[in-house]
Amino acid sequence: MSAAALSPSFKTAFDANSQVFSLAGVIRPRSIDEIADSITMLKHAIDDVRGVLYLDVKRLIQMNNTAFHAFVRVALDACRARSDLRVVIVTSSVVGWTTRMFGHLNEIEPQITVEVYDSTFYPGQSFLEDTSFIPILRTQTKMTWRHERSILQRHGLRPGIAMADVCCGIGDFAVLVQKEFQPARIVALDHSKASLAYAREVAANFGITDIEYTYGDASEMLLEDNQFDFVSCRHSLQIFNERELLLKELYRICKPGGRVYITNEKNSHCLGEPRAQSIQWTYNEVAKLFSHFDMDVELGPKSRRYLAEAGFDDILVESFMVTNLDGDPQDFADVITAWENVYAGEMAVRRGDPPEFIERFRQGFRDHIFAALHPKGYAGWPIWVASGRKPT
Amino acid sequence: MIVANNGPAEAAFEPLLQLEMEMGTFISEWQHCDHLSSYLARIISHNRTDPVRHSNFFSSALNELLEVSFRSGASSGQVVLAIFRHGPVEQIKITFPCAAEQIPFYREAVSKVDRSDARARYLDSISTDMAPSRDSILLDLAINFDASIRFEEGPSPAVTLVVDLPLEGLVS
Repeated sequence: MSAAALSPSFKTAFDANSQVFSLAGVIRPRSIDEIADSITMLKHAIDDVRGVLYLDVKRLIQMNNTAFHAFVRVALDACRARSDLRVVIVTSSVVGWTTRMFGHLNEIEPQITVEVYDSTFYPGQSFLEDTSFIPILRTQTKMTWRHERSILQRHGLRPGIAMADVCCGIGDFAVLVQKEFQPARIVALDHSKASLAYAREVAANFGITDIEYTYGDASEMLLEDNQFDFVSCRHSLQIFNERELLLKELYRICKPGGRVYITNEKNSHCLGEPRAQSIQWTYNEVAKLFSHFDMDVELGPKSRRYLAEAGFDDILVESFMVTNLDGDPQDFADVITAWENVYAGEMAVRRGDPPEFIERFRQGFRDHIFAALHPKGYAGWPIWVASGRKPT
Repeated sequence: MIVANNGPAEAAFEPLLQLEMEMGTFISEWQHCDHLSSYLARIISHNRTDPVRHSNFFSSALNELLEVSFRSGASSGQVVLAIFRHGPVEQIKITFPCAAEQIPFYREAVSKVDRSDARARYLDSISTDMAPSRDSILLDLAINFDASIRFEEGPSPAVTLVVDLPLEGLVS
């Protein structure tokens, strides 16, 4: 076992503007002396703070009791000395022991409170994790799998490798990969407990027991460095607002020489005939709507740039078009209906769009369905696939 | 000698792994505690519902026990670590050499875990101690990991701590 692989170093940082002192990584010192600099840094940070100090431990993977006592003691002493100071400790629901350990502090010192950081990790999460959306997600995967099944090999997926599927959603892609490619190990991570519960159920129904489904924050995973030959992250970069952070994590867990594989859309390029103009107008508006919520569903063709700037080499990019001719046109129509319900029925309403806009917005989806089901019609949904190699 | 026994019947536990290490080797490097806890946690967690988070939780608890062993002061003999499983519970059984005069302190520390004032003493320890005591580490395991802990004493001057951890329920 390698020390580097098992023991990522810890990081401390203080952001004076937001008054956030953060502890991240693994902090297991033998004595307080080993963390003296960090303790001093926390003391200085507290001296600078007016009002509330946020002690951010949501990226703290491990901390032994030696470090816990030392850092907590500083916070307790500061609160005892300064009645004006409040300390808010921000923990993560992913790392369960932190909430338990730090949760006691309020009983000792009322000026210290604990907040569990369990909000959405990307702006659209609440829209897309509605369990009523699950059947459509399965249909979408079925439609894209027809193409990705052959594409994946060109991007490095092969039997016997270690693979992670980050932002796995309901886990159906991991199941399909397991059946088709037989990797030696698959870890599938998502931040939706409901989706993971569904994923485990689906896997059990298929008799698949060797997919490791795990609840986690894709922007700070508990997974060790350099573990996976192939890391997939499908349709997710586009709905993360902190894309560089996510790519940094994908890069970190990928082995040198391994590949990170991403898929994304360019929604304004969804198309259909007949009624092309109405369809195009609506999907242009889809892009604007997602942008309003800090998501970029136009990201697909930008994949090459994102991967290059994240440090990958040997970048491969290709695209495919899911169409109404791929399988049952009704599947395509069902997906568009679901999009209409979420995009027009929920997101546009949340943005505060007037009814006349929403009605025109809906019409484009209906026209897309019309094209998909028309005996001479054609309807398409383009996907961009990209992968990059982590340099050796 | 059993001081406290709140765990499931011993016979029901199935062995997962056992590790023996010379104390001299073990205490030659502090990072052994971190490396062993992370590595072993990953191995035994692979078939839990959420292997990654189970491993994180388990590593946290195991590391504290390894650190207690490390700080025992013994430089000869062996540290013996065995991990068992029964349903949602993992059991860690760790034996390490220890000076005879130290043994009563471990026995006393374990006996305090089940007392009614355990939580108050744990909070007091956080509130006042600069560094965690042996007592507060065991209280941490009992309170934050829902652990049941018992103490066993062998014929040679050694201490065995048996810690039952119902982490599967906590994680999932």
